[in-house]
Amino acid sequence: MKRLTLAAMVMLAACAKDPDRDAAEEAKNNGVPSTPASDLPGHGSLAQDNTTKEGPRLLPAEVYIQAYLDIFGGLSPLAAELASRGKEGSALFDTWRDYLASLGMPDYEKDISRVTQTNAMMLATFERVGIALCDRAAERELDTTPRPALATRTVFGFEPTAAAPTEAEFAERFDVMHRTFIGYPAKLAETPRTARFFELYKSVVAKHTEKGAPASGLTPANAGWAAVCYGLVRHPEFHTY
Amino acid sequence: MDRRNFLKCLGGAGAAALASGPMLRALAEPSAGEGEFFVFIHASGGWDVTVGLDPRFEAKGLIDPATTRNLDTAALTRWKDGGAIEVGEQSFAPVQPAGSKLVFGPAIGDLADKYDRLTVFNGLAVNTVSHGDGTVFAATGRHLAGGRVPASSIDAIMANEFGVGQILPSVSVRFPSSFVGQHLDRRAMPLLVDGIGSMGRALARTNMNLGVDDRSAVTAMLSQEAQDLAKVSNDPSAMQGFALQLQALTKMTGGPVQTLFDSAKLQAAQPTFNYRAQYMGPVATNFAFAVEAMKANLVRSVAFAAGGFDTHNSSYVDQGQKQQELFDMIARLIEVLDATPHPTKTGRRLGEHTHIMVVSEFCRTPQINQTMGRDHYPNGSALVVSPKFKSNMAYGSSDPEQLLPRASGKFYDGERAATPADLLATFVGAFGVDPRKYMRDGEVIKEVLR
Repeated sequence: MKRLTLAAMVMLAACAKDPDRDAAEEAKNNGVPSTPASDLPGHGSLAQDNTTKEGPRLLPAEVYIQAYLDIFGGLSPLAAELASRGKEGSALFDTWRDYLASLGMPDYEKDISRVTQTNAMMLATFERVGIALCDRAAERELDTTPRPALATRTVFGFEPTAAAPTEAEFAERFDVMHRTFIGYPAKLAETPRTARFFELYKSVVAKHTEKGAPASGLTPANAGWAAVCYGLVRHPEFHTY
Repeated sequence: MDRRNFLKCLGGAGAAALASGPMLRALAEPSAGEGEFFVFIHASGGWDVTVGLDPRFEAKGLIDPATTRNLDTAALTRWKDGGAIEVGEQSFAPVQPAGSKLVFGPAIGDLADKYDRLTVFNGLAVNTVSHGDGTVFAATGRHLAGGRVPASSIDAIMANEFGVGQILPSVSVRFPSSFVGQHLDRRAMPLLVDGIGSMGRALARTNMNLGVDDRSAVTAMLSQEAQDLAKVSNDPSAMQGFALQLQALTKMTGGPVQTLFDSAKLQAAQPTFNYRAQYMGPVATNFAFAVEAMKANLVRSVAFAAGGFDTHNSSYVDQGQKQQELFDMIARLIEVLDATPHPTKTGRRLGEHTHIMVVSEFCRTPQINQTMGRDHYPNGSALVVSPKFKSNMAYGSSDPEQLLPRASGKFYDGERAATPADLLATFVGAFGVDPRKYMRDGEVIKEVLR
């Protein structure tokens, strides 16, 4: 009986949704009718490349390290290291040299080749570095009074709302960060990204607001924005092309 | 119901049938590698087998044996003068403990006493004298294709088969690890690092501003993002890999993993290894890491390199001591594993479930060159310590006068010397895995398996 139930469940699951049809339906509802390429002027005789394309590839480590430096203040590696360490020593950040191997940089002296695919240690290092960069950016751009001029902020290029943001208010601010880190408007993301980050923001703010919340160097709202920064600087699309 | 949906339903029915049939039961059965651990060591630079695993102590043919003139013998605990080569120049007496069928050179150190645990492969046809090519051949069973590594290395293979459930399936410290092919699970990707200590720093976290719950929430969300991106990707493997690795990350940054990458703590936990050894001192931490990581059941495979064997000139005098330090550490490793309880198998010891393989890219010339060193030579030896292998046994041999590989058995392509590919295929096959799943070349040498 259990086997029959299992078989029925798998069949139902397989029949339940048709993503292609859903996408077409959604496109129709959005008023963007699907048009075959051959119907477009000048495309009738053009060959179409239907071969399977490669999946996303990991950026060379130099690229995302340079991106870290550019986004988080345009500093030199040494200046960024000093700023990230701050007065807390190695609590947030050690030295770039400590992370180079796990970030995937080659070391020709030691005959270690470039890492071209992610591994768990690399993701751990993304997190370690991302936390340091985001925390310091939040301290610098959000947690000071008065806040620096909007034009000089490199990560949090918006004015936070005085009260808890509505979804629309959050989306407007999140979009600024999304364009900075990922390079395109958040609404074009292929995932429900804005909604997901809003949930993350709300959950972090709630955790930091509740009674008995652990001490933090950031206000609850700023902790929420720092978490959003964590998510973007570690996002798979940030590290791939 | 259109054709597409019909086929999908059919697929669903097929999956249901599989789920309830013998296939699932077969998948659920414990594999031959469950609870097993692997240690791979690359003696990098190309070791001189004539003082270790394939001894030569007579001047015969091309052979210039190691002597009191060309080797620093003072540090070698097993060196005994064996016969005059020239006036005032002595070669060595081979080392063969009572009961041993294996004969060693004087650099074997304490490992000689573990003869009943050893399987020695001599006369391996490495067919190269290039470091890069030989290194890749030793670890993957394939030569370099141009500059490209064309196959996965043995540590990645074993991690993929048996380690994806571990927090750290494969840790590689300067071992020539490679991860090639779409069919491998991304969690088995070897963690390539240049030192154990540097990994600890990447895992350190502070709750200064955000806490562990906040970080976990970010990681969980990113994992979901990666899974969703995989669904819309032509090639979902990269994003699937991201998602799986993010799931593993939560386990890595909490609990005992960070302690595992602290050199000082490792040395305190495993004082038996010689951290002050002149040449292999830094490598000792890797041995300690292997034991502690296996003891805590966090890894499946630990691979590392022990360097310094590329002695083209007068530095050859230290070749014996370098090998001895490495072999002594392997002897200590065997002892520690024998004394350490298995983390999941009650009443068993790690030594009963740990499989060690030591390889090098090639060996060194039988002749001493004009600068008192030995150059690269297309022959190789390897060492296996594994309960799956027959021990106190040497397989294959090299020419007594030229030190070149001799035919060791019949393979599907005729009688020939075994190659590193055969050794790796045998290692993989010992655990019930078809080597063809990962390797183009290589045959299982059944006569060395229990």
